[in-house]
Amino acid sequence: MLNREEWLPLARKLDWDYSYVREDEVFPEVISGRPWLPHSEWKDWEESFKTSYREYVDNQYEKDMAVQAVHDAVGRIENVQKLALPWLNSLKVHAAALPLAEFTGVIGNLRGARFGRDSAWRTMATFGALDEYRHTQIPLLLFHPLLRLDSQFDWAHKFYHTNNWFAVAARHFFDELTVGQNAIEFHIATNVVLETGFTNLQFVGLASLARESSDHMFERMVTSIQTDEARHAQIGHPVLATVMKHDPKYAQYLVDKWFWRNWRLFSILTGLSIDYLTALDQRPYSFKEFMEEWIIDQFLRTLDEFGLEKPWYWDLLMDELDIYHHMIYASAYSYRATLWFNFVIPGPSERKWLRHKYPKYWDEMDAVWEQISERWRTVGPGPANELAVHGTALPTFCDLCQLPLSAGTPRKNTARVLVHDGRKYIFCSEPCQWIFLHEPERYASHTDIVKRVLSGEAPAQLPNLLTEYFNLTPDTWGKDVHGGDYEWLRAPKDSAA
Amino acid sequence: MPVPLYGFLQGDTVGLLILAEDGDTLEALAQKLQAAASLRVAARHPVRVVYNDKIMAPSMTVAQAGFEALDRFDVLSG
Repeated sequence: MLNREEWLPLARKLDWDYSYVREDEVFPEVISGRPWLPHSEWKDWEESFKTSYREYVDNQYEKDMAVQAVHDAVGRIENVQKLALPWLNSLKVHAAALPLAEFTGVIGNLRGARFGRDSAWRTMATFGALDEYRHTQIPLLLFHPLLRLDSQFDWAHKFYHTNNWFAVAARHFFDELTVGQNAIEFHIATNVVLETGFTNLQFVGLASLARESSDHMFERMVTSIQTDEARHAQIGHPVLATVMKHDPKYAQYLVDKWFWRNWRLFSILTGLSIDYLTALDQRPYSFKEFMEEWIIDQFLRTLDEFGLEKPWYWDLLMDELDIYHHMIYASAYSYRATLWFNFVIPGPSERKWLRHKYPKYWDEMDAVWEQISERWRTVGPGPANELAVHGTALPTFCDLCQLPLSAGTPRKNTARVLVHDGRKYIFCSEPCQWIFLHEPERYASHTDIVKRVLSGEAPAQLPNLLTEYFNLTPDTWGKDVHGGDYEWLRAPKDSAA
Repeated sequence: MPVPLYGFLQGDTVGLLILAEDGDTLEALAQKLQAAASLRVAARHPVRVVYNDKIMAPSMTVAQAGFEALDRFDVLSG
């Protein structure tokens, strides 16, 4: 009987020469990816952490039991009820955005498990698919039962099945990243950029935030997921190394494109959670500090490791660290009924903290919050006045990322109109337009929410749009956490400021 | 026939869809955008309408200015 060290290489490296078909028929470029290279160029593919199926199952079983134990100890509804209301809404954001996005990762990994170019790569992608299935099931198991506490948790299952604007944006991203992707681009975009670049470290940060917020169930969940990510993220590195060797320009394009696409989505999910939906005294850092310390440094090291350049839009991205998620949050607050979670207005002490952390543009943002606060002062607090402190005109969306046209600053929005093949498009930023122009055939036929309204596919009136197209109800649509009833809003204006 | 336009009010955090009429003056168009964004941005006077990088005369109509569906316009302070 072979021992592990003898058996594992034999099981992992199980490639052979084809006699009845050509190699490019077994691994067509359209689904295996480009550059198309013979197996001789991939045969040295190696993952740095090697595991067998038996070891994998043993490890995962132990991790699942640990999650279950924490769930049993602190995951009951009465435990969740003790969490601060803003944080509870951060949970709702992740409960919706995470599980079925992870499920699309199953599909992407299974594509790698079949069309990856080396058998060791295919073996690791099989484990990756099992990981992502686990990352689907755990949050569904933990979050969906909270529906008994709050009907907005229904969106853990529902979110990706709706045409809610944020679901359209998230689906546009994950469909391209995972579902409709070839094996090479999938593993570079997902493993190298999303997981190594963002989620692996983001989950460490989220676990820390959850701990500060006394949310031990969420802390345990993301920690457990993160340990899988750290393992399967390694699949992409030898893929990128081979693409870099044969087509460095394409490798640079993939990294540039996917870092931007990831930034757009994760700056919203994580930026809002850190800077607005975590109680002020429980914030260990600002979102910008988190990005600089965890994401940016790590990404630059990855670029160095592969001999890649910084993306051409680097200066713009550094500038966005100061403003983009603030623009999105203020916009989303004023259209909160279009979403499935509740919002909080930053009060005087939060705004002082935000000014300290984001001095570059905070004056412009502060004026917006002052105006919104003034509306609450005028109409008075209470659920009946929610829609009096809400936008009425239709907000607009980028034709690439599908997110609101909220890039730039309040002083100068960076949206840009482009006519392509006789059709008019609008993009929130230069990088989104740049991605579109590189692969217009991929994006051109997708319609954003505005075009759907104008074509009659979606209702034009906001109440109908919310209920008939975004699948919201008066119970589930987003509201102000406190119904506009803030102590500082009741105080005379001068003493509150 | 309404002309759907992307309106960007200086000081705001998001672009808004504004349905203009051909006969609307640009002054009226600016007022429509200011009203639509009033939750986030206090009304300011005077304002300027910028279209294709040019400051437009406020008395000009949407049709005279040559606005087409899904064009961008900006309303700036001063």
